[in-house]
Amino acid sequence: MKKTVKAFALSLVIVSLALVPACRSKKTQEPVTHPETAASATVPEVPPPPVTSTTTTVAPPTDFVNEKPVQEEALPADIEELNRVAQERGYIADAFFGYDESALSSEAQNALQTSASWLKKNGQYNLLIEGHCDERGTEQYNLALGDRRANIAKEYLMTLGVDSARIRTVSYGEERPFDPGHDEGAWAKNRRAHLVLVGK
Amino acid sequence: MKNFLSLITAFIAIAFIALPLLAQTDITQTIGQQQATQVVRIGIPFPDLAQGLDPQMINNTFFAPLTRDLAASGVFAIAPLPPGVAPTPDLAKRVGALYLLRLQVITEGEDYVVRGRTIDTTGTELLAKGYRGQATTLTKIAHMLANDLMKMVNGPKSAIFLSQIAYASDRSGSWEIWLMDWDGGNQRQITRHNALSILPSWSPDNQRMVYTSFVAGTSDMYIINRVGGGRMRLRTGLNLNTSATFSPQSNDIAFVGSVNGNPDIYVIKDDGSDLRRLTTSSSIESTPEWSPNGRQISFTSGRSGSPQIYVMDAEGTNVRRISFEGEWNDDATWSPSGEEIAYTSRVSGRFQIRVANLITGQSQVIAGEGSNEQPTWSPDGKWLAFQSNRTGRWQIYRMRAEGGDIQQLTTAGENKDPDWSKKAE
Repeated sequence: MKKTVKAFALSLVIVSLALVPACRSKKTQEPVTHPETAASATVPEVPPPPVTSTTTTVAPPTDFVNEKPVQEEALPADIEELNRVAQERGYIADAFFGYDESALSSEAQNALQTSASWLKKNGQYNLLIEGHCDERGTEQYNLALGDRRANIAKEYLMTLGVDSARIRTVSYGEERPFDPGHDEGAWAKNRRAHLVLVGK
Repeated sequence: MKNFLSLITAFIAIAFIALPLLAQTDITQTIGQQQATQVVRIGIPFPDLAQGLDPQMINNTFFAPLTRDLAASGVFAIAPLPPGVAPTPDLAKRVGALYLLRLQVITEGEDYVVRGRTIDTTGTELLAKGYRGQATTLTKIAHMLANDLMKMVNGPKSAIFLSQIAYASDRSGSWEIWLMDWDGGNQRQITRHNALSILPSWSPDNQRMVYTSFVAGTSDMYIINRVGGGRMRLRTGLNLNTSATFSPQSNDIAFVGSVNGNPDIYVIKDDGSDLRRLTTSSSIESTPEWSPNGRQISFTSGRSGSPQIYVMDAEGTNVRRISFEGEWNDDATWSPSGEEIAYTSRVSGRFQIRVANLITGQSQVIAGEGSNEQPTWSPDGKWLAFQSNRTGRWQIYRMRAEGGDIQQLTTAGENKDPDWSKKAE
């Protein structure tokens, strides 16, 4: 069974890779959402679109859903440790922004695509997206800017097929910098949508 | 003006230790330059104390705050007095004072009783008042007495010495809401969320504050009374819930709410009912503030490509931009007269306080070291409190609305988001 799951995962990766350019050019394109949704827990309610017909023969979605998620190594039970490990291994990755920007760069989109893939395979977690800003703006406007950043990231994850019910956002503005420094190196680290795994 | 403060301090010290009279002309000249038309010279001999009372303690808790209030008022100038001369109308004439304030402090059980009598140069009694309270209230009594003198010569609106500045401080280990007197005294913690709690704003009657806390994991508005009780969470169903501010005229609260990452200005009643959306732009809207008559609301919008200050009618109509200088403007707040708006404006890469006259359209930057943000007017419109990181840490300062007389009010931990209570009291 493990082999078939792996084969399915692999074919899924191939399908998603083929679709990556489409995601970048237009994040709301329909073909991206459907094959990705096929792997999530909600599949039985969604009629599989034609594109996925080859993968469903390899592993029926119902079997896949009942299977434990594919993991290289076991995930820690402690939620803080889990988040550290998930970021370290690149399962999920934060999206970074330009100064006073809330648009997703291609790097930010890549980070969220990686995160979306992992999140869909690991439906046991929900996601909190924290919007953060660097210290150079004003506090009150930055709270609003952080809200926008967190939501842009959320919308993109939804476009990539992550169930919106699993995602919550909060803006910390410039209140909780990751790097307390006062130079561009620090500021660049502080302008982000920070992904935090939370229990269901 | 630093010289002025140190001179006053020096004088107070001298008067009490009963050393010979010094430097009286310097003091009055400094004050005269600022408020030449209004200054009322007043002589205030050190209080007569009941036996057993410690003059140093009475000075620190009562006399020094009283004389500091009056010296900073711009209305009174304190005439230095020669030691050991009876406080008579003749003395007032001799030092060129219009009034003498005679003070007496006695104890009755646990209570202190302060009596103040103001006489003019003819010996006529203008104000005679008694105040009673425990030792811990002596400073409050000083502010009350200073307020009464201000009301006597300058009307009730100038009596701001009991006004309070709400702010956020991290000195307890997390950002919480704190209060202090107008001179930075009596700093006390109001919330204990152990979670990020920021941006307090006073109700028009000085009895409540609204602020934002992340204690529930989301950012929410809470209303609390001035001693920290009666806390209520305002549920809006929206994200953000920041920059909350009470209407000066109704029970409405304006704030920033967000749906799907689109922050806009909303209004809700203080009981959580009647949510209304005032702006619908797809850009970021933030930081609403009511005009004193409650008919207009200023706010920050990024609709032009950078954060700028706009004003709209309180129903959300008739939007017009009022800031055109600086690439990042925020934190607009109306002077009590409604004629001026102070805001944070980036000038040459640093944030500075800018005061714009809404009638003439002219604006003036009050430049200082570091970043200077979030101005808030005193109830009489004579002062601005603001936050600055000029020392490398955020602290709250107070200065005259036209600049000058800058005084640092906080030192413990970091402190920000000052909001001055709205009503003189």
